[in-house]
Amino acid sequence: MSRAYARTWLALLPALAIVAVVFGTSVLYGVSQSLGWLPFLGQREISLDAYRTVMFGADHRREFWTALAFSLWVSAAATLLAALLALLLTLALGPQMRANRRVLTILNLNLAFPHLVWAIGLLLLLAQSGVLARIAAALGWIERPADFPVLVRDRAGLGVIIAYVTKEVPFLVLILVAILRAQAESYTAVAQTLGANRWQRLRYVTLPLVLPGLLAGSLLVFAFIFGAYEVPALLGVRYPKMLAVLALDFFLNADLRARAEGMALSVLMALVVLLVALLASRLRRQAVRP
Amino acid sequence: MSWLRRTVIWLALGAGLLAPIAVLGVYAFSQRWFYPALLPPEWTASTFVRQLTRPETGTALLNSSLIALLVSLLALLVGYPAARALELGQLPAKGLIYALLFVPTVVPTVATGIGLNILFLRLGLAGTRLGVALVHLVPVLPYAVFTLGGVFAAYDPTYEAQARVLGASRWMIWRRVTLPLLLPGLVVTALFAFLISWSQYVLTFLIGGGQLVTLPTLLFTTVPGGNQATTAALALVFVAPLFVVIALTARYLAGSRVRGGELLLQ
Amino acid sequence: MTIIDINNIHKHYAATPVLTAITLQVAAGELLALLGPSGSGKSTLLKLIAGLERPDSGDICFDGTSVLALPAERREAVLMFQSAYLFPFLTVAENIAFGLRARRTPQAKIRAEVQRMLELVELPGIEKRYPHQLSGGQQQRVALARALVIQPRVLLLDEPLSNLDPAIRATLQSVIRRIQREFKITTLLVTHDLSEAIGLSDRTAILLDGRIVACAAPEQLFQRPPNRTAAEFVGVGAIISGTLAGDQLQTAHGPLTVAVRSPAARPLTCAIRPEHLYLSTAAQPNSLPVQVHERIFRGEYVEYTLAAGADQWRAKVFQETERYVPGATVFAVLPPEHLFELAGPPHE
Repeated sequence: MSRAYARTWLALLPALAIVAVVFGTSVLYGVSQSLGWLPFLGQREISLDAYRTVMFGADHRREFWTALAFSLWVSAAATLLAALLALLLTLALGPQMRANRRVLTILNLNLAFPHLVWAIGLLLLLAQSGVLARIAAALGWIERPADFPVLVRDRAGLGVIIAYVTKEVPFLVLILVAILRAQAESYTAVAQTLGANRWQRLRYVTLPLVLPGLLAGSLLVFAFIFGAYEVPALLGVRYPKMLAVLALDFFLNADLRARAEGMALSVLMALVVLLVALLASRLRRQAVRP
Repeated sequence: MSWLRRTVIWLALGAGLLAPIAVLGVYAFSQRWFYPALLPPEWTASTFVRQLTRPETGTALLNSSLIALLVSLLALLVGYPAARALELGQLPAKGLIYALLFVPTVVPTVATGIGLNILFLRLGLAGTRLGVALVHLVPVLPYAVFTLGGVFAAYDPTYEAQARVLGASRWMIWRRVTLPLLLPGLVVTALFAFLISWSQYVLTFLIGGGQLVTLPTLLFTTVPGGNQATTAALALVFVAPLFVVIALTARYLAGSRVRGGELLLQ
Repeated sequence: MTIIDINNIHKHYAATPVLTAITLQVAAGELLALLGPSGSGKSTLLKLIAGLERPDSGDICFDGTSVLALPAERREAVLMFQSAYLFPFLTVAENIAFGLRARRTPQAKIRAEVQRMLELVELPGIEKRYPHQLSGGQQQRVALARALVIQPRVLLLDEPLSNLDPAIRATLQSVIRRIQREFKITTLLVTHDLSEAIGLSDRTAILLDGRIVACAAPEQLFQRPPNRTAAEFVGVGAIISGTLAGDQLQTAHGPLTVAVRSPAARPLTCAIRPEHLYLSTAAQPNSLPVQVHERIFRGEYVEYTLAAGADQWRAKVFQETERYVPGATVFAVLPPEHLFELAGPPHE
C-alpha cells in the first residue's frame, strides 16, 4: 500500500470512526435489546418475543397496526401532495421566477425553519380558535370555534400532513429548480424549433427531465416523514399515533420491559425508512446520469 | 395574465411558506388576544422579554449555542480531511463510503436515540453537553462530508500545485490559496451543521435525559402548557439566533455552489 | 427551397444594442455563413430567425411572408447548437423521431424516416443507443438527422462543430456540405472560424458589433474585402491611404501606381493581401521603403512584419530567395494589379 493511499484512509478515519462507533453501537444496542438482550434486567436470552408482542400480542397489536397504517397514510398523503404541489409550483414559476432571488430566499427560509417551530406556528394558525378561525368568524362563516373544522390534533392526521406538505414543498421545488436550471432551457428550445408545442414540450421534454429527480426526492421525503417524531407529537392525537411516537412511548414506559418492545418498534420503523431511502438514492444516481 | 400569474404565485409562496412564521410574530407580541378578535387588542413586548430573561431560557440558550458551535467545529475538523480524501484521493471504495455515510442520515432519530440512550447513561455521557454534541454528530457529520464533498468535487487542486511551484510554503498555500477558494463551502457546511444541531429535539431529549435543557426541549415542554403568547415568544427566541446566523453567512450562501439545500431535510 | 429575407432588424438586451440594422437575403438552397467573433450578435440573429426571441423592430420573411407572428414551433426553422442537446432520456431513434412525433406522423413512416436519416448521416445501426453512449461527433450527426427529418424550410447551425476535434470537424463539415447540397435546404451557419466559413459557404457575411460589415462570396471576400473593417477581419498585408490623381496615389511613404483611375484628385484607401506583397533589397517599380521588424518562420511560408512609418504591414513569402534581418531597410513591392480599393465603413 502506497503512502499516499495510506494517508487518504487516515484522513477518512476520524469521520468514519465517529459515525461507525456512535451510530454502530446505536444499531447494535437497539437490535440486541429488541431481541430481548437486556443484561441490566438479567435477561440474556435472544428471542423475537418483543416483535411478537408488539405485532401480534393482544395488548398491542391494534395499536401497532393502526400506527403502521396511520404512518403510511400520513407519509404517503403528505409526500404525494408535496410532490404534486412542488411540480405545479415549479412549472408555474417559469424560467424567470425560478432564478428570482426573492423566490429562492423564501424557499430557503422555509427550509431552514425547524420543523418544531413550524408545527407550533401551524397550531396557532389552524387551531379552532386560531388565526384562520378568527378570519372565518370575522367573515361571518362561523360563530363558535367549534364550527371551525378540526385541522390540527385531528384523528385523520390532517395537521401533520399540512405541516409536512408546507415544509417539504420548498425542498422538492429547490431540487426541481436545480434540474431545470442546469439544462432544461436549451432542451426546450431545441424541442420548440423541432415543432413541439407548449404542451408537447412539457409532456415530452420537461417532465422526463425532472421526474427521476422528483421521484428520488419524494422517496426521501416519504422516508423522513415516516420516521419523524416532533411534528406528529405536537400536531397529532393520542390515538392513532404515528410509529415514532408510539416507539418512544413504549421506550419511556415506566415498565422497563416495554423497552424491548419500543426497540422492536424502532427497528421495524428504521427498516422501512432505510429501504425507501436506499431506493431513493439509487434512483437519484440514475437521475443524474448524463 | 402574466401579472395575475405572478400575483397568485407570490400569494401562494407567502401564504403557504411564510404565514406560520408571521403568526408566531403576532402571537408573541399580543396580549389578551381572545377569540374571535381578528387583531390583538393590545401589543406588548413584555411576554417576549419575560421569556427571554427567564433563567431557564438563559441556560437553554447557552446549552444550545455551546452544543451547536461544538458540533459545527467538530463537523468541519473531521469532515474536511474526510471529504478531501474522498473527492481528491484515489479511493476505489468512494461510492461505498458515501453509501455508508448516507445510512445514519435517514435512520429516524428516534431509533438512533433509543439505541444510544442506555449506553450513554452507562458511560456517564448522558445529560452532558459533550454527550449530546457527540450524538448530534451522527446526522450532522455525514451531511458535512456530503456538502464538503461537493465543494471538493468542484475544487481544482492544480491551484495548490501552481502555488507550490511558485515557491509557497505549505502554510502559505493553505492560508492564501486553499482557504480563500474553499471558504464559502466551509461556511455553508458550518451553517448546515449549526442548523441541524440547533433544531435537534429527539436526540437531545433522549441523550440529555431531561437534565440538559436546550431551546427545543424547553419549547417542547412549553407547548402543552397552553399559553399561546408564551409559546410563540419562546419559539421566536428559539429561531431568532438561527436567522442571525443565516444573515451573517448570507453572502457565502449566495456565492457557493453547494450540493443541494436538500441537506436540510433534518 | 425557401428564401429568407431579413429586413432592418434591431435587437437590444437591456440598454445594450445586440443587432443593428441587419438586412440580409439568403437565396433558396444557399448556405450562408455568419462570421464574427463571440459577442458579435450572430447567435442572437439565429434565435430571432428560429423564433426563440423577438426582434425589437424589423421583419423576417420566409418566401416573402413575414414569420414574426409564428411561434418557433411553427416556423419550420430548426436550430442546432454547439452541443447536440440530444434528449438524454430518449434513444437515438426516439431523438430523431421527436419532430415527427410532434407532428403526429404515423409510426411506420417514422421508422422508415429514422432509418433513412441514420444512413444519410452515416450512422446506421445505432437506433437503440442512448446519447451518453455516443461520441461528440456522433451526437452532432444524430442532432443533424433529427433536424433534417422534419424537412425544415430553414436549417440554422450555431457553431455545431466548434466543440469537436479538428479531424472530426473536417469530416462533419463535408457531411453537412453534402447533405445541404443534396437537400437544397436554405442554411445559415454561424461560426467564428474564417476557414470554416469560406470553406463551407456559398456566401459569407461578416458580423461585427451587431452590424453586417461585408457580405460576399468567400473568394471575393477573401481576395477583395470591400472595406477596412472586413479587410482587417480577413487579414491583409497593408492598408494605405493617400490622394489619387490619374492612376497615381500619393501616400505618406511615397507615390504608388494603382489599377484605379480618377481624373479629378480624390482621397483613396487601398489594400493588398500579405501574399501579394513582396520584398526586395533594391528599389523597384511601385515599391516603398520599409523597415524589417520581425521574421517568423511559419512552416509553409515565412512571415515578415514591417514598419512603414507608424503603420505595420505584413508579407507572406512562400519561396524565400533572400533572408532579411530585423532592422534592415528594404523595399516592399506592391504590384498595382493586386492593390484594391477599400470603401469607408458601411455604416458611417
